[in-house]
Amino acid sequence: MIEIKFCGRGGQGAVIASQILAKVFFLMGKYPQCFSVFGGERRGAPVASFLRVDNKKIYLKCEIRRPDHLIYMAPDLVDEQEIESILKPDGLILINNALTSGEYVRLRKFRLALIDALSVSEEAGLGSTINTAILGAYAKASGEISLDYLEQAIRETVPAKIEANVTAALHAFDVTHVMEGVN
Amino acid sequence: MKTLLQGNYAVAEAVRLARVQLVAAYPITPQTPIYEKLSDMENEGILPGVMMRTESEHSAMAACIAASLTGVRTFTATASQGLALMHEMLHFASGNRVPIVMCNVNRVVAVPWAFGSDQSDSLSQRDTGWLQFYCEDAQEALDTVIQAYRIAEQALLPVMVAIDGFFTSHFIEPIEIPDQASVDAFLPAFSIPTRFNEADPAYIANVVNPEQYMGYRQKSFEDMENTRPLIKEANEEYQRIIGRGYEAVESVNTDDADIVLVTSGAMTSTARVTIQSLREKGVKAGLLKMKLLRPFPTREVQEILKNTRKIAVLDRNISLGKGGIWCQELKAALYPLENRPIITGYIAGICGADVSPDMIEDMVVKALERERSDDLPIWVRRDQ
Repeated sequence: MIEIKFCGRGGQGAVIASQILAKVFFLMGKYPQCFSVFGGERRGAPVASFLRVDNKKIYLKCEIRRPDHLIYMAPDLVDEQEIESILKPDGLILINNALTSGEYVRLRKFRLALIDALSVSEEAGLGSTINTAILGAYAKASGEISLDYLEQAIRETVPAKIEANVTAALHAFDVTHVMEGVN
Repeated sequence: MKTLLQGNYAVAEAVRLARVQLVAAYPITPQTPIYEKLSDMENEGILPGVMMRTESEHSAMAACIAASLTGVRTFTATASQGLALMHEMLHFASGNRVPIVMCNVNRVVAVPWAFGSDQSDSLSQRDTGWLQFYCEDAQEALDTVIQAYRIAEQALLPVMVAIDGFFTSHFIEPIEIPDQASVDAFLPAFSIPTRFNEADPAYIANVVNPEQYMGYRQKSFEDMENTRPLIKEANEEYQRIIGRGYEAVESVNTDDADIVLVTSGAMTSTARVTIQSLREKGVKAGLLKMKLLRPFPTREVQEILKNTRKIAVLDRNISLGKGGIWCQELKAALYPLENRPIITGYIAGICGADVSPDMIEDMVVKALERERSDDLPIWVRRDQ
């Protein structure tokens, strides 16, 4: 089982990103379980969305406290000390940030991926909607999903600007910078 | 067809498949997506019935009662304060013997205000004369709503299907949606007595004397008792036609168990993981899932637990001044046993607070060490 946590701010599309990723895993024949922290939705506030995926039915109906993969759509939410305490040792962190890994010294022991999702999305004509770019980056960083299924899930889920979203995901895959963990 | 759905949408699919003719409802978190999905279906022309957007839950239930008396299949959904506001009409529904089906999405009752799951809203409607089912997940919710119509219409009693707010209502998971032909084969076309004539409307709730009133109550009580075989038969028939089923009481590894954990609702799924892991560690633990609250499955739990020495009951609800409500119900059911078990009551997960497998494991292990039953429950909170 893989447990994934998306961290973003209201309006960035973290919830939709997790739902599209759930769809990708579903299309791959896996069992996804997707949920969001619920109750205080508002634009700009921190938002967390969660995804478990396994090859068989998932019975857990509880929080994800030790994720395998952490995805930061909002880089200002990155708290290196917190990540060190919650991420599993062989975990992955994906951050929407153009900065180099030099900025994340304490996270270098983990697999770390960086994507300038905002540039990719703006270039594709999506403005600041970065969820499909993040998913393209996740495909590259995690190696867990194929681009074919990601494209299919985007086409079946996204309500508008479908081609631009597919372009953003594919472009993000190409330009994501992945660094293996250093022990 | 298998698809990815949140539990609220799964309930809406069940309402569509049951060919419900009138939905009367008012939105409330976390039930609102049921209302929204049914509205979408009506807009798309795929809802066989009509939506009635009432000004309150009290009115929604009144509308369902009146419509049902004209011979129409009805549905409503609510949660928390909405169910509390319906309370008076819940008695009218069971007293008028209308087969309404309602989905209640369990949510804490104010104050203070919050959104998380807590069964206290529906459990506090225990004595309104409705059948009550508690579902573990979205698939069971879909299947139970369809089963509920068959039971309600045979018994002429209303049925409440409760699901956990958030864990069941909002978690998105793969759901199998049965095809219309299979549901039609399971659920006969709606045919109940028409007791309210639109052309000649009249108030049908008479004033009666004490002997008559008591006669009505006794008859209702007996008819509620008589739903037991109907519930069993509906499940067997559903299993035969659709291929899935759910016992009123489900036991897992209880035969040789030194301790049995009793749960209901969504926490049951997490408990399944714990029980399996305890077995792998050599602890002989079993699980009893309570689905049916009314009529209470007394004989079933007596039969399953008659040789069990220790029991832990996990309640996501609280009756102030007593304890967990499932625990009290279970204690009453087991009192006639020759060898009464030692029962430990736990209160956990109130307001959707996290209940993880390790927390459940700790509860089971501690309950196994206890040598006497205690009347007071043990509160389990992660941060204490």
